[in-house]
Amino acid sequence: MNSSLAQISEKKDFQVNSASLKDVRSFSRDVFDKLQLDQDLKDELVLAIAEAAQNIVKHAYKDDKDTSDKMEIKISLKDNELEIGFFDKGRAVDQNNVRHRKIDDIKPGGLGTFFIQQIMDAVVFKEGEKPWINHLVLTKKI
Amino acid sequence: MSYKVTEEGNISTVHLDGEIDMDVTENAKEVIMPLIEAKKEVHLNLKEVQYMDSSGISVLIESHQKATELGTKVILKEISKSVLKVIMMAKLEQILNLD
Repeated sequence: MNSSLAQISEKKDFQVNSASLKDVRSFSRDVFDKLQLDQDLKDELVLAIAEAAQNIVKHAYKDDKDTSDKMEIKISLKDNELEIGFFDKGRAVDQNNVRHRKIDDIKPGGLGTFFIQQIMDAVVFKEGEKPWINHLVLTKKI
Repeated sequence: MSYKVTEEGNISTVHLDGEIDMDVTENAKEVIMPLIEAKKEVHLNLKEVQYMDSSGISVLIESHQKATELGTKVILKEISKSVLKVIMMAKLEQILNLD
């Protein structure tokens, strides 16, 4: 990691739809390039971020596929802890329903949350402060 | 994502290229599933796939399961490092046919 960039905080808004996911990855890669993270770590973090953004599109906006809403993603690094915040105005997330499928129950779907949990140290859902409904926080020591 | 399909006997090889995410999985399935339903042995060449997320992995699982159900198979060929990592993270390296 680039020690001269021991702190960083960048955020960006994205349209809530599947076509935005490549822009989410591009934004994330740009931030991690600035931090000069190891390629493997960078790939993992980009996957975790894209999976979380995908969950917003798939679940928080399940009944509103044509929304014009935007979601916000904020990547911050402080004291070697990476914090990635996701803000959206979709349906409120019921934490009890957020779980991945059993990994040995082989079927399509249900892996995104598993990947996020594998990659990150902590996954915390918070109530969003207005105007946001959901605020997901992913953290990892790097 | 872009793709190219080549045929040799009963083997159809689908060369996938680019990033496979939720936005393109329906396209990928529209290419792969008819080949399986035609009971072709399908080879998915993943050499040029630089990124695959859980949606892409779902396509691999669905293809594998459909092929097994129809008595044929899907074999993953020349898997790129980044895709292999995701397959292993999903603990699917013993389930899918990797070559």
